[in-house]
Amino acid sequence: MTADAAQTRAATTPVACLECDLLVDLGPLAPGQRAQCPRCGTTIAASPKQGLHRPLAFALAAAVLLMLANVYPFLAFKASGLERVMTLTESASALYDDGSRVLAALVLTFIVIAPAVLTASVIALLVPLVTGRRYPWLRHIGRLVFVIGPWSMAEVFLIGVLVSFIKIAKMATMLLGPSFWAFFAFTVCLTAALAALDRHYVWNAIEGRDA
Amino acid sequence: MSAYPQGTAAAHGLAACHVCGKASSAALHRCPRCEAPIHVRKPDSLQRTIALLLTAVVLLLPANILPIMHTENLGRVTPSTILGGVVLLWEEGAYPIALVILIASVVVPIAKILILSTLVLGVARASTASPHDRARLYKVTEMVGRWSMIDVFVVAILVALINLGDLLTIRPGNAALAFAGVVVSTILAAGSFDPRLIWDQVPAQKESDA
Repeated sequence: MTADAAQTRAATTPVACLECDLLVDLGPLAPGQRAQCPRCGTTIAASPKQGLHRPLAFALAAAVLLMLANVYPFLAFKASGLERVMTLTESASALYDDGSRVLAALVLTFIVIAPAVLTASVIALLVPLVTGRRYPWLRHIGRLVFVIGPWSMAEVFLIGVLVSFIKIAKMATMLLGPSFWAFFAFTVCLTAALAALDRHYVWNAIEGRDA
Repeated sequence: MSAYPQGTAAAHGLAACHVCGKASSAALHRCPRCEAPIHVRKPDSLQRTIALLLTAVVLLLPANILPIMHTENLGRVTPSTILGGVVLLWEEGAYPIALVILIASVVVPIAKILILSTLVLGVARASTASPHDRARLYKVTEMVGRWSMIDVFVVAILVALINLGDLLTIRPGNAALAFAGVVVSTILAAGSFDPRLIWDQVPAQKESDA
């Protein structure tokens, strides 16, 4: 603990550009300020204007919306007097029932599990940080937040819905259910939360120092 | 140590953490701040990238030749491939969607494989091409790869939704898994390529601190 405290008092953490490895001496950034690598131009840090309140607000909204998206019907399909309604998770379970188990697992991971874990870990990370509490496990959650990102494909799935819509428009009527709109809003909120989460700022906060 | 350009973390015996960005002594195996494994450069970056790219190339064949889904309509089964789906949408006049699928499912995976191969070759042969351009190409491939998953999601949605027994049912084809494999291996390939290798061959410019 004393070693940690001593480290906290040090002026800056040595940071290197993740694209070109140039060592950069980052002083404290003013809110809204951005630091670019002088060698390759990559943004190394961007200090958020409203601290961590903004991503937390978006992540909380995203969590509620994702729950709603899992409760209500996602899409409905009407043809020749027959109607079929599907839920969000059925896009994976129908594949599973058909025998495509690996594909079902991938789809479930990309559209439900990864987005849900991402949202939950952003909340678990930011609630303690915003309320000024520090726990040793925060670093594990922080790592999860920055590693799982590429596997959350909610926004890609939305485009998939749009394409499906047009593909079957000729055969039948397709209706968007409440879950679709909840999932759409969820995607917007999660994207906004992640966009407001600066790597450098968040890790300084986890270490207990100001940007 | 002087194999690396002056002013880089590596030249100072430091390894930058991929997860939190902190530069720590390369002798440590884990980042003292976030506990992620740290390396001066991603281990076996070029070999891993090539291996994953070859996997993607091999999977690309069944992904494009086999049907991605089967439509069963009153006992008649019609298989459709990725390209067949694009042609069908085009003939129906849905040009923007046909283009979206063509770009996401055909152009992007192939372009991604070609670009990453070029970047690997560029590093292996110490290319003198602009590092800025190569770094930009890398960032584009990293960002755009996930969008190729659209077609797999379309199959998932249609299979779940269109299930009216003998009247009309859509079932997944073998290309769907192969294509998902293409997308996953190109995402992993982009992740195992270390963009810092591009810059290692470029002498660093004016650097003040030693």
